[in-house]
Amino acid sequence: MDDLNPLDNRVHRSEAKRKLFSNWFSWICLLVSSFAIVVLITLLISIFVTGGSWLNLNFLFANHLENNPEESGIGQALFGSLIICSICGLFALPIGVGTAIFLEEFQPRNRWLRMFHGLVQLNINNLAGVPSIVYGILGLTAFVYMFGAFNSIKVNEQPSVEVGATYYYQTKTLGGDFVKFPAEAKLQPSVKIQSGKTVADTTGKTFRLNVVSVSESKEVSEKQKSQTVVRGVEAKLETRDDKSVYVASTMDGTEFSFPAKPTYSPFAKILKPIDVTGFDGETFTLNVLSKSDAVPTDETIKARSVFADSPNPKKRSSASIFRETSFFHLHLPFSKSVLSAGLTLGLVILPIVIIASQEAIRGVPDSLREAAFGMGATRWQMVRGAVLPVATPGIMTGAILAMSRAIGEAAPLLAVMGGVLGTTNGLGSLMDKTPVLPVTIFKWAGDENAGFENLSAAAIIVLLVVLLLMNSIAIILRYRFEKKLTG
Amino acid sequence: MDPLESLQLDKMASSNLTNSTGMLDGGRPQYQVRSSSASKRKQTFVVSGLVFCSLVSVVTTIGIVAMLIIESWGFFADDRIDLWKFLTGTRWTVGQSQGELSYGIWPLLSGTLRTTGIAMLIAVPMGLVSAVYLSEYASKRVRSILKPTLEILAGIPTVVLGFFAVKFITPYLLEPLGDFKTFNAMSAGIAVGILCLPLITSLTEDALQAVPNKLREGAYGLGSTRLEVTVKVILPAALSGIISAFLLALARAIGETMVVALAAGSTPTLTLDPRMPSQTMTGFIVETFKSESVVPGTLGYYSIYAVAAVLFLITFGITLIGQIVRKRYREVYD
Repeated sequence: MDDLNPLDNRVHRSEAKRKLFSNWFSWICLLVSSFAIVVLITLLISIFVTGGSWLNLNFLFANHLENNPEESGIGQALFGSLIICSICGLFALPIGVGTAIFLEEFQPRNRWLRMFHGLVQLNINNLAGVPSIVYGILGLTAFVYMFGAFNSIKVNEQPSVEVGATYYYQTKTLGGDFVKFPAEAKLQPSVKIQSGKTVADTTGKTFRLNVVSVSESKEVSEKQKSQTVVRGVEAKLETRDDKSVYVASTMDGTEFSFPAKPTYSPFAKILKPIDVTGFDGETFTLNVLSKSDAVPTDETIKARSVFADSPNPKKRSSASIFRETSFFHLHLPFSKSVLSAGLTLGLVILPIVIIASQEAIRGVPDSLREAAFGMGATRWQMVRGAVLPVATPGIMTGAILAMSRAIGEAAPLLAVMGGVLGTTNGLGSLMDKTPVLPVTIFKWAGDENAGFENLSAAAIIVLLVVLLLMNSIAIILRYRFEKKLTG
Repeated sequence: MDPLESLQLDKMASSNLTNSTGMLDGGRPQYQVRSSSASKRKQTFVVSGLVFCSLVSVVTTIGIVAMLIIESWGFFADDRIDLWKFLTGTRWTVGQSQGELSYGIWPLLSGTLRTTGIAMLIAVPMGLVSAVYLSEYASKRVRSILKPTLEILAGIPTVVLGFFAVKFITPYLLEPLGDFKTFNAMSAGIAVGILCLPLITSLTEDALQAVPNKLREGAYGLGSTRLEVTVKVILPAALSGIISAFLLALARAIGETMVVALAAGSTPTLTLDPRMPSQTMTGFIVETFKSESVVPGTLGYYSIYAVAAVLFLITFGITLIGQIVRKRYREVYD
């Protein structure tokens, strides 16, 4: 045997054997590495086989239909994804690039600022490792509910700060037409408590109010009862110390109050003739008939008449509140909306944008900076005139890669908007909800009904095509960038 | 010193950031900026804007920590809940309507550990070997196929991998092999492993590439084969980078949400059997959001934050260790 030589040890095996080992290892490596290729091909084939035949023009433009996968589509979802990604980009890109410039080009001499600098850098590396679902929960807390700062008690689901919305009551005339008249916010005699944060007891001490559902209410312990109410409990309007407050009691009878704000009553009574607007834009005075009156025979009068409300509050009129919103409709908190979703996704990709921009800025040769300083430029003039123009393609590449991460993210959107599959009115303002592509894929994939699995696969194909488009742009930009630096 | 004036910086300060301040006067001359006072004012304005931008990321971190502390407080302040039972309990029934309320984190935690463990068993050896191959062996042609493949794989949205796990891996790969449930830890683990593979490969390859060629050449000069150079020289030299790559991938796997939400099922179980469903921490959070029954102020709502706090602590800790390993134990050449 070769090993008889006393000088031999494990390292000094016969050369042929060692070379053989090395060769074998290289083949094993190749085999293992090609696993990635096999996986990718299998994945693409399985998705195309499942969804390819479901892909057609109708699928691209139609909306989700319950129990009808053949006619369902991703129209709203695709549009929603693009809108949310635009918001996310508008939010994250300027801030991300700004942070990167600050970190790379403005390194302070002052000791405290230098510590701040180091902290920001460490922080960004850590933020990049935070799971996206945690960002989703942050979005839910910070954007959707805003830490409960704007409405400590959710009263009839109306936001406390709102612009771009007008409230109307609508009712149906005897002729079957709908008419509307403006609603006025008033202090309601009572409100229902839906969710709770902070209230004050009779001594003025504030505490956190828990709201439980009826089924949960049996499990509430004695101690906890003094701070808990069942959902939907009514709070009555009272005047205390010249202030209007709503008063209610917790499960053990402890009285508490919270400030009253003018809100819209969900229903209105129609007792006397009022000016209304038809949905064709025509304004007229509504005839109000008493219950004993006969229904008018003339069609035009019939179309402009309603019966007065009965005095019985249980049989209120069908005049109910609705909101007309303009495209600039905004309210605080943002609630479950496109804006919340976009901002949340922005937070998810912010660290990615920062790290990519930092790398692009670092790639700019120092000679450019020195030349700019030599001409007496301030640091900012140097950055704007010398660094940014050269770094822009690199920054753009990173930005597009970050956006393609954003467009495929489902978890944060699920947290912020819930699993919406479709909306009746579409996307009218930033405060509306919308379905998005990844969440639609998730919901369809989990749907047991036949056909939705194929729909999900078809939606995946569309998502992959969108990603492919975005990545090709990134590759083209990178190619140009490299050419510019070498040539 | 006026804090904004102190931001009127010079080149030397930036290049000598790691040195003591005494170094500032030595060496190359400082760049004396001679600019008009108007453009200096403008710079002050811009710098404040940039500071504001970087504050956003700091505020995000503070926001996450504050939110998790405040809202999990709502969970633990409820006197049905006991912190000790939360950390040691072996049953989790929060969010299920019937039955006794149990809130031990271990079923969820073990679900996470099971899928993560399976994922790491797949991704770590494969990623390491692929990285070695790409860095040390691959010809340009093989590289030009492998590298983009890995990049595409890394860019595939996780919800797509979840779909792949539940509609392909489970029915076509696992069910012929044994008594696998429709939703099981194995398929989710495999899919998460596929997800981590490109991450480990590219980070490890970066670490291997960072080893100076001098070392390779020295080892080849002594007559080593490629295998010996790789195993005895390159891998030990790049060890800190490799470990930090593993840790980053581990944090990613623990925080992975959509794959487990689709493939691992929604039953919290405390078992080692990979054929059983295994709800993870992230899976529980998604399940709660999906059902849209979350009303602020309820126990179900607060439980999300308690679970998220545990998840955040684990991933944040691992990421932090990864960074420390990379910084502290890096072999410095030159």
